[in-house]
Amino acid sequence: MVLYADSNYPVHKDLDSIHAKQLDQLGRPGAWGTADQRLAIAQEVRQAAYKTGLQERPKEAELKGGIKLPDAASKVVQKLTISPKDFLEDSYTDAKKDGLNDEEYVEIVGIVSRLTCMDVFARGIGVPLRPLPKASEGQPSRNRPAVAKKEMAWVPTIPNLPEGGDAAKALYGEGYKTYIVRGLSLVPDEVRMHIELENVQYLPMKHIFIPDYQHHEGFTRAQCEIVAGRISALNECFF
Amino acid sequence: MFLRESGRATDLKINLEALIKPTLEIGVPGGKEILNFAEALIGPDRSILDKARLELADKLSPAAVSAASAIAANFTKNDRIANGCGIPSEPKMLKASKDIRANLGLNDYRSAENTFKHFPEER
Repeated sequence: MVLYADSNYPVHKDLDSIHAKQLDQLGRPGAWGTADQRLAIAQEVRQAAYKTGLQERPKEAELKGGIKLPDAASKVVQKLTISPKDFLEDSYTDAKKDGLNDEEYVEIVGIVSRLTCMDVFARGIGVPLRPLPKASEGQPSRNRPAVAKKEMAWVPTIPNLPEGGDAAKALYGEGYKTYIVRGLSLVPDEVRMHIELENVQYLPMKHIFIPDYQHHEGFTRAQCEIVAGRISALNECFF
Repeated sequence: MFLRESGRATDLKINLEALIKPTLEIGVPGGKEILNFAEALIGPDRSILDKARLELADKLSPAAVSAASAIAANFTKNDRIANGCGIPSEPKMLKASKDIRANLGLNDYRSAENTFKHFPEER
């Protein structure tokens, strides 16, 4: 199945298949959330973006929503979806105070970030939001990397090698990785999916330091960096 | 920083200030249309976005619309991961971007605190 078959603009088959896979995966149990909980997060992302005019109207069932998220989760989802520039450390500490643990929090940040990414892409090429999947049965894996610890991010992360050991090697490979790669590492699958999107949508990470490397047809690296720079300026993202 | 380097590698004289003040000429083919499209894509006005999309396709190509959408979307992700996890910028990047940060006022972003609390000397 081709996810963006209705697009008037060309969509690379790798991007198409990764979005299809990652959307489907939202309907499966994650590391800390059940499929129903993950879909409720996704629905809340879409409702929040739609209500503020930042996104197209979701399907009726997605507007109604599924299970009710705890208030702490709902606040994180809404603020991070609508206004990432206003998401400061008190948003994180309030979420912890209100009952979320770090593992749940990181999975929520990952889902909000990836779904926003896929939905913004759809808006960019002028197609409706892709439908969310149905929920699958099953329990979260509850796989917490034992080596994850508090470093410089708010949330615990898997350190680089050698400190990060086998977990770091499995997730990052041999090289040093920056915090934008490691930020979600308390939930390793979120890092894998974040990098998967990075490799198809921005450029393969192994080429990032080649300044004239061109990944997109008809769009130079400098043109890519204009988009990246303008979006990050609008979101007031410092990193 | 990557924009400045990619400009140097391709002999373009890039005006980074246009990232903050998009009415300025940025110095890259299709720069104005790219900036307009990026802003419209994450803004609330659908009619402005539809116009910006057509202008970008007309100025560069239909493939440029897909590319710009993919990159804009990717950075909406990265900005949320960065601000949601409270990550700092890396020391190497901080040193290389000192002049850019000062000139463009990036140090005033509230999310900069996630970096400066660890590297106050880079403020």
